[in-house]
Amino acid sequence: MSLMITCPICGKRNGYEFRFGGEERGPRPEEEGLTHEQWCDYVHMRSNIGGVQEEWWFHRDGCGSWFKIMRDTLTNLEVEVQEKT
Amino acid sequence: MFFKKRRRLWEKTRLKSSYDAVIVGGGLHGLATAYYLARDHGMSNIAVIERRYIGFGGSGRNTAIVRANQRTKENLPLYAEGLKLWPKLTDELDFNLMFFNCGNLNLAHSESALGSMRLLVASAQFQGIQSELVDAKQCKEIVPILDISDRLTYPILGGMYHSPGGTVRHDAVVWGLAKGASGLGVEIHQGTEVTGIKVEKKKVVEVETDKGTIRTAMVLNAAGGYSTLISAMVGIRLPIHVLTIQAMVTQPLKPILHHVVSSGAYHVYANQTLKGEIATGAHMDPWPNYTTEVSAQYIKHQAEALTELMPVLNGVKFMRAWAGLADMTPDMAPLIDGNDHIKGYYMDCGWGYFGFKSGVVTGRYMAEFMSSGQCPDILKPFTLRRYEDHRLMGEIANPINYGPWN
Repeated sequence: MSLMITCPICGKRNGYEFRFGGEERGPRPEEEGLTHEQWCDYVHMRSNIGGVQEEWWFHRDGCGSWFKIMRDTLTNLEVEVQEKT
Repeated sequence: MFFKKRRRLWEKTRLKSSYDAVIVGGGLHGLATAYYLARDHGMSNIAVIERRYIGFGGSGRNTAIVRANQRTKENLPLYAEGLKLWPKLTDELDFNLMFFNCGNLNLAHSESALGSMRLLVASAQFQGIQSELVDAKQCKEIVPILDISDRLTYPILGGMYHSPGGTVRHDAVVWGLAKGASGLGVEIHQGTEVTGIKVEKKKVVEVETDKGTIRTAMVLNAAGGYSTLISAMVGIRLPIHVLTIQAMVTQPLKPILHHVVSSGAYHVYANQTLKGEIATGAHMDPWPNYTTEVSAQYIKHQAEALTELMPVLNGVKFMRAWAGLADMTPDMAPLIDGNDHIKGYYMDCGWGYFGFKSGVVTGRYMAEFMSSGQCPDILKPFTLRRYEDHRLMGEIANPINYGPWN
């Protein structure tokens, strides 16, 4: 079953209208005392879990809003909707 | 009464409580490493732990294409060596790997694609690998069923021809390696899931499975699409996201395609298997997930792309579609590392959708790595540390994404 995503503005749409924006990785680390490893961890490393994860999506073929959803990567189904804060 | 009793290709044994090394993942990389550890380094007290069946993951789901026409100087030598191993391996394992040295034709549909192919051809030739630029007419001579007219949405301008490449029967490689490894004393445990890896004082001590705990000082993460889940057990994060890559086969046809044909602009590659089916693929849904779902959208797209490029395929039916997990890294190059901060923990993952081509040769060098503890030079560029230094490999600037819109 193909992925359906709920856009906060347009409602439930076909997954192919969106661009995956990456897993939620928290705020950008402070530059004060930033090490190579910390920056690498923030930019490159991912958790890529098998389960429900919070992630960003961009409604490319629609309203253009950036928002977060919770999606279960084991079933590829959206779990619950969260408004972009 | 005249039939010889058939023996299993690889033995089935009970899980012991300790081994010299445990390999997580019964795919091509895991089995190749096990085979070479036993063959070249006398280490046969090894267990290959596979959650489902060997070859159930990427090793059994790919479209079996092998080639050595990548872009970077770090990748090319590894793939080139891998390509030469297939005939030798067939003899060694005494198993028909069905290596079909048919040659790979990569099509260019724009000036910029031809430009990047010039770069690829130059890189390959510099490494002593046969690869050449061809024009549209030559493409048609190589693959007569190609349409080089202006009928196409993106007409063919030329291409890149790699004669040493071809296809290998993917299942045969898995089974042949399992036979070879098992024959040398390696144990293969299917239907066994690794649930944890215990590390004490930065050294691997135990591997927990659902069939019992194993005491060992060496673990190899060769879990392909599930690498991040295994890596999480030792607290190492990887720059991997797992995408499903889809493939499909048509009904069997008489021999009409004698090469591997691929097109970046059309996002498609196709070859005719020895059974006569046209095996084709290339699409990946862009959202990370662990399902292996296929989508009607891509089956439709494959049909459109194939009938544009090779109009004789009009009306041919798709028989089967499936998907596998590709552990994608940002620079389309693998993650090969070991003993870096955890002694005895090795990883051979991040192969995305090109792990099949390099499976055997990487296994050989991983075996060297694991038995000596020193990383062989040919594998050094693939260290996980390269991300800290932002030394990402340039593999991603290859023609897959080039099209008339560049």
